[in-house]
Amino acid sequence: MGLVQRVLEASGISTVTLSWIPDLTRAVGVPRLAGISYPLSRPLGRPYDADGQRAVLRATLELLASAPGPDTYVELPFEWPESPAQARSASKDVPPSPIVELLRKKPWLVANLYSGRIP
Amino acid sequence: MAIDSYRFVDFATRQVMKAWAARQEPGVIPFEPLARPLREGTVALLSTAGIARNDDLPFDQEGERRNPWWGDPSYRAIPLGTTEKDIKLYHLHIDPRFGEADLDVVLPMRLVEKTAPAIAERMRAERVDTAALVPV
Repeated sequence: MGLVQRVLEASGISTVTLSWIPDLTRAVGVPRLAGISYPLSRPLGRPYDADGQRAVLRATLELLASAPGPDTYVELPFEWPESPAQARSASKDVPPSPIVELLRKKPWLVANLYSGRIP
Repeated sequence: MAIDSYRFVDFATRQVMKAWAARQEPGVIPFEPLARPLREGTVALLSTAGIARNDDLPFDQEGERRNPWWGDPSYRAIPLGTTEKDIKLYHLHIDPRFGEADLDVVLPMRLVEKTAPAIAERMRAERVDTAALVPV
């Protein structure tokens, strides 16, 4: 998402990204970033929690105006109501992604990620 | 950075993501100051949740299963008014059920509509009208 954000920003559109992996998003260099400690698949919050989702969205959009310059990073103060184990168990019947499955079978291929030699 | 970006993911996923982050070069970061207050502008939402309307082409998940190093880089437009019954999430790295149950979890279109003050005001007015007309 950060890579897309950079292109949009460079074309003259003010952008902000809400990321649950701010470490990765920030690494690519983005103008405005809101980090949130929520589990994957649910960046805005739990389904049907419109009030909670609205609070996240509002805090994210506020960065559009308040950011003083590039690489503005704000950590949103919201806390996920479950432990990581609980959050993961809700999706335990979802199979691992193809790349994770491959790297579990052939862990030495992780080296390709580090070196950037993507087959 | 106080947030642990890898708090909710398993060990293998964490390794993949950290390796990916370590390879990035931020370079010169673009910055475009907001041209006008949000309420006077137009907000576009982008999501990487792989959302496609049922009357549109699905994202290519078979291609990714064949080559796990690849992911479908195409995009789909999701017009306002689209609801959960009109879409599916084509994404092999997440649990698509949350977004399919409540699209605002991954693409908060309804929320943005409601958050935009001008529209919110109108909606508040509409709600009042509606409430006034509901016979109790």
